[in-house]
Amino acid sequence: MGYDFIKSRLHLYAVLQNIEDLVQYDEEAKNLIKDWNVTIKFSVKNSGKVYLIFENGKCTVSENSSRKADIVLYFTSPAHLNKMFDGKANPIPLKGITKLGFLTKEFPKLTQRLEYYLKPDEQKLKDNSFVIINTVMTLNTALFALKELLLFDPIGKHIAKKIKGSMLMMNVDKGPAVYIEQKGNDFEVHKGYHEKPMAVLQFKSMKIANDFLNGKMDAFSAIASGAVATKGHIEWLDAVSPVLDRIALYLA
Amino acid sequence: MKLEAKSATQSSAAKIKSKTYTYPNSQKLFRQALKVIPCGIPGHFSPAPFVPAAMYPFFAERAKGSRFWDVDGNEFIDYMCAYGPMVLGYNHPKVEAAASQQRQKGDCMSAPGKIMVELAEMLCSTIAGADWAFFAKNGGDTTNLAIMIARAATGKKKIVMIKGGYHGVAPWMQGYGHYGVIEEDVANIIGIEWNNVKQFEDAIAADPDGIAGFISSPYHHPTFADSEFPSQDYWQRIRELCTKHGIVLIIDDVRCGFRLDMRGSGAYFGFKPDLACYCKAIANGYPISALVGVEALRTVAAKVFYTGSYWYQAVPMTAALATIKELKRINGPALMNKIGKKLFDGMVKICASYGYDLKVTGAYSMPYVRITNDPSNMLHQEWCAECTARGAYFTSHHNWFVSAAHTEKDIQKTWNIVDDVCKLLKKKYGDAF
Repeated sequence: MGYDFIKSRLHLYAVLQNIEDLVQYDEEAKNLIKDWNVTIKFSVKNSGKVYLIFENGKCTVSENSSRKADIVLYFTSPAHLNKMFDGKANPIPLKGITKLGFLTKEFPKLTQRLEYYLKPDEQKLKDNSFVIINTVMTLNTALFALKELLLFDPIGKHIAKKIKGSMLMMNVDKGPAVYIEQKGNDFEVHKGYHEKPMAVLQFKSMKIANDFLNGKMDAFSAIASGAVATKGHIEWLDAVSPVLDRIALYLA
Repeated sequence: MKLEAKSATQSSAAKIKSKTYTYPNSQKLFRQALKVIPCGIPGHFSPAPFVPAAMYPFFAERAKGSRFWDVDGNEFIDYMCAYGPMVLGYNHPKVEAAASQQRQKGDCMSAPGKIMVELAEMLCSTIAGADWAFFAKNGGDTTNLAIMIARAATGKKKIVMIKGGYHGVAPWMQGYGHYGVIEEDVANIIGIEWNNVKQFEDAIAADPDGIAGFISSPYHHPTFADSEFPSQDYWQRIRELCTKHGIVLIIDDVRCGFRLDMRGSGAYFGFKPDLACYCKAIANGYPISALVGVEALRTVAAKVFYTGSYWYQAVPMTAALATIKELKRINGPALMNKIGKKLFDGMVKICASYGYDLKVTGAYSMPYVRITNDPSNMLHQEWCAECTARGAYFTSHHNWFVSAAHTEKDIQKTWNIVDDVCKLLKKKYGDAF
């Protein structure tokens, strides 16, 4: 699988899912979508599709939907989607032309908010509420991206063979959690705590999680110093570490 | 005095007696180390695989016999033995005396010490089938040299190794996906399952003229998994296939060497390797490794250029000679296996009395030990950490090592610690496991 394909999968399945958390934690985003009742489908030729379902002040991001899409945004190739994420291309609206106003005025406000949280800088990181939201998103992005990389990235696919039957959870102590579970030849990612995780990587605080996930701290130092705790099948955590590091190759 | 491992019922409802250690100096030194050394302590001594790391010592101060003391003054019965090199006991008087004597004369000089010849003669007379010996520093030096010799001897490229096997840290040994390893590094490595002769046959059939060598430990002792002995006739069939197809049979005896049999693990399992790699147990902690080989590979071994700045140090060679003499005198492998059997049989019994299944696999002198009740390993990790923090140094992911210096007193103390920790865990978790 090519670079653009993998990058598009990460955009579709690891980046866009953050809108769920954005509208939950960010007041501005929450207010923006509180009255939205709309389903938007992102459809990328030769890559995948994802539905953003807005209703009752919440957002659900899913590969499948029982609701029909009100708006379909079509991308002619994985590279087309990637260019849009870089601000260099626009989607082709296949359905929902009548909602052009929404697409050009309302929806971009939400994606701008998403971009704000996904691109931390030193100034933003001085704000504790930013750190919390950015950390939640980075944590979730990491495991949703891990799934795609284990399925499609050359090194990820190689590592996937070595962690058969794996199930690992990442969480912040008394904070957010996300876990990935291997199911046959596929992986499932779930937000929240698993009742009986088989491998755990736990960050002592949001700040530590943020530093760790943004590459400011190496795993060995973090674990030995107690900033990060691991337990269970730590060989799986060790195995996926280089794969997690590859997220930056696609999303940096 | 005859020692017996008391079960929980026999030891009555005694309270947990042992206190747990703390490690402020280790932690402080580690923070200091982080500033000047990548990840503080790199490699296999990194505290990262300890669960939790905070319950383990990071730095040692001194060692004697079967024990070491950390920088906080905590004393440990050492069941890792420096991850294998300590075999007769730390600071063994005979080894130290010999090394000290040589040190007075010279160590790293502009020519090898004469001791090198004597040591090579000793290895050739000790290890079955060894016609020559080549010295280096680490086990990985010898496994790497072994495949170079195999390739030079056969004119072929590919090396077959066992999945999960460990032969050092060169890129081809680590495998694709590890940091710094590229696909080309492992392009000529074929991984097959342990104990699977069919897969070896298939690999040969797929490339009848391409395989230079087969490398494996004498029995499978991966990290994070139980050890496995060879199935019946496994090595004999591998030997036959190697001979038939002109493949060099390489035994990585770095970990097992002189912990199973003084004649080498090939003799122990009844087959003759072409090359055998030694390191850990041969010099009781002094830095030296050795590759031994058969006559047919002598000329090729002479042609492969392979060396290092400190490979001719006379002191480690002297220590190795003294160590091997002493191991032979006391029949070290038999002694270590006897001590290990007693220790682990007792531990199994104690754990069972609390409802914990302690599984011991591999040789008693270097077994892989784990509590199987919790499939996530978390109970086992907690058990190891609690035992360590009470003075029995157990790691949860790597095989342990027993030395000839472990005493009856060590065994009894270890049993007491194990009993205390099982009691603690039972109290904490009840019948959850």
